[in-house]
Amino acid sequence: MIWLTWRQHRKQALFTLIALAVVAAVMVPTGLAMHHRYERSGLAACLADLGDAQMIRQSEAAVHCQALSHQFQQQYSDLAFVAILFVILPVFVGLFFGAPLVAREVEQGTHRLVWTQSVSRRRWALTKFGLVGGVTVVLAVLYAVGVSWWFGPLVTASSGRMGYLSFDVQGVAPVGYTLFAVALGVFAGTLWRKVLPAMGAALVGFAAVRLTVETLARPRYMSPKTLTFSPQSVLRPNPATGDWVYGQGVRDAAGHLVASGAQIGPCAPPGCGGVAAGSYNWQLYQPGSRFWEFQAIETGIFLALTVLLVALAIRRLRDIA
Amino acid sequence: MTTNDQGAHTMELALETGALGKRYGRAWALRDCSLHLPAGRVAALVGPNGAGKTTLLHLAVGLLRPDAGQVRVFGRDPRDDTSVLAEIGFVAQDTPLYRDFTAVDLIRMGGKLNRRWDAPLARDRLASLGIPPDRPVGRLSGGQRAQVALALALAKRPRLLLLDEPIASLDPLARREFMQALMGAVAESGTTVLLSSHLLADLERACDYLIVLQTARVQLVGAVDDLLAQHRTLVGPRSTDTGTPRGVVSVVRARHTDRQSTLLVRRDDDAVIDPAWIEHDVTLEDLVLAYLAEADTRATRTAWEVTA
Amino acid sequence: MIEFVLDGRSRVATYMQLVVQVKQALRVGLLRPGDRLPRVREVAQTLAINPNTVLKAYRELELEGLAEGRPGVGTFVVETLAAPSLAGHAELREGLVAWLRRARAAGLGHEDIAALIDTTMRAGQDPSLPQDVS
Repeated sequence: MIWLTWRQHRKQALFTLIALAVVAAVMVPTGLAMHHRYERSGLAACLADLGDAQMIRQSEAAVHCQALSHQFQQQYSDLAFVAILFVILPVFVGLFFGAPLVAREVEQGTHRLVWTQSVSRRRWALTKFGLVGGVTVVLAVLYAVGVSWWFGPLVTASSGRMGYLSFDVQGVAPVGYTLFAVALGVFAGTLWRKVLPAMGAALVGFAAVRLTVETLARPRYMSPKTLTFSPQSVLRPNPATGDWVYGQGVRDAAGHLVASGAQIGPCAPPGCGGVAAGSYNWQLYQPGSRFWEFQAIETGIFLALTVLLVALAIRRLRDIA
Repeated sequence: MTTNDQGAHTMELALETGALGKRYGRAWALRDCSLHLPAGRVAALVGPNGAGKTTLLHLAVGLLRPDAGQVRVFGRDPRDDTSVLAEIGFVAQDTPLYRDFTAVDLIRMGGKLNRRWDAPLARDRLASLGIPPDRPVGRLSGGQRAQVALALALAKRPRLLLLDEPIASLDPLARREFMQALMGAVAESGTTVLLSSHLLADLERACDYLIVLQTARVQLVGAVDDLLAQHRTLVGPRSTDTGTPRGVVSVVRARHTDRQSTLLVRRDDDAVIDPAWIEHDVTLEDLVLAYLAEADTRATRTAWEVTA
Repeated sequence: MIEFVLDGRSRVATYMQLVVQVKQALRVGLLRPGDRLPRVREVAQTLAINPNTVLKAYRELELEGLAEGRPGVGTFVVETLAAPSLAGHAELREGLVAWLRRARAAGLGHEDIAALIDTTMRAGQDPSLPQDVS
């Protein structure tokens, strides 16, 4: 079975290696340059100096650090687009590894050849799914580690790794996405039994599930925290914490939102002009320190979906003739 | 030589079905199918397209689960039992093979997927047919691909060989070569064979057992010699009499002109047929066509809700 | 060694065609006692026919005492059907040729002659004599 799986998929394996080599050829030099620049410009050091306190004193150094961040982001803004490519990479694995796994066999009728040898259908499925799944995990881990390293400076310099896009390509979540994409492809193959429709269905299904989880479920994984501070305060939120800010604004003494998306201050006593006394800055956010909790929950959801889809696919296999 | 004797074959059953049925949605693809195929026979499974031949073969090789009744191969249920699968060589319709595999790859694959596997047998067969070992089978001719599929099925050293329309898509020369290879293999191994076809002509000399399927039901089953001995064509003056002539068990099909009646009948083994009728032997083709035509008429009548 | 051929349009059973061909070969001296008949596998393969059919033909020959199966070796001819003297053929043939010439002179066509021979042979058939299935 192992030999058969290798013989059947060696071309795919070769293409994958070539694709990996191409990606590495782009990522390694740009990544090294980015890391080099990140260190040399003093951005790394100044961000480290800001520490991980929630609030910091607005200082000359902090302002300078933010300026450096902006400059860094400006310089590599083009590369941030590459991150979008990384977001859709897992679905390609699902389309090209997962969808044909059963669909091509049925489309070409070879399932009648391979399932009538002396190996049970279940063993065939478990071996194939296991091997393809194993290769997928290796690829996904390589991808996650590589992208986390490559993307690190840019993410730290901007809104932090909790933000959309950056959260999706780092940590362990990409492993979950990729396995899910493969399982979805396999399952779609057992339903449509032709490669192209299975691929199409897997693509649509993947996009739908990912968007739903990202926009509806993820913000609710843990209840967000609220931060309030007086306009007069010299302490401001620390930009280096990498918090995921849901919303911010200014509220009056009664708690009503009077300005959305803005913060005031710091201004000298007795108060800021034009703002009622007792108004305060308000921010609703997920602390950047919850990154790994969020990663674990997100990965867990996709792994659970993966297991479900594989079980369904094996069930469906019994009815294919 | 392990080929069984015609007269004294052991009554071990290679394939046995009881009230077997398979449904797709509301339509029955096979219904009330009860038959047995003794070991050592070469059986033709004959019927028009859509009669249920493929369904029966898929049930026998465990690809399908029955919706009614049961199927047994050498007394065991083929479904999900790899020890039964090891006894069956199966060549599916259109002889599916991994098209980018070479013949050598396919033989190697068989070795990985079967405990009992005669790779030298497969290699010798293909070598003697001049099939290139190192070319992807997708680039071989249809006849060569069918030979590769047959060699793979035979390399399992199966006790039952199931072939689904193996020669339907082949040209006449390739058909003959395939049947030659098959008959040579049967003579050598004594394996039981069940091969389906919508054409009888190609199989007439190869088979000694017959199963006729039509409209999802078994119409006729038995050893060819017995069937030929049991049936006669009777020609006589037109009879308005609806009863069967003396010495006849049943009339399979009757045709009448204004003067004459021609009946294909199943005769009573122990009785003499009414001498008013002139008896003729039947050929296998007459027999199959009569049963198919009769089943067809019956189906049409049912569809139009006309009672006979 | 002989090679079998089948008449695709003949209504004679396949096994009987094989029996007849062996007998003809015996009659004309193409096969002699001690000769081995083609192996079942070879016949089945070349003619693409059921091996049981070949076995049936060979068993028929055994029943008629013309051949004998030796397990693991093959089936061998043990009897001949050649007339006591093949040489006698020539004399009979000469007589037949002379008769045919007379028949033609009498205005009989090819089919008339065949019909005459056929009916005469049938009328003269004696049930006590061993019958020839061919």
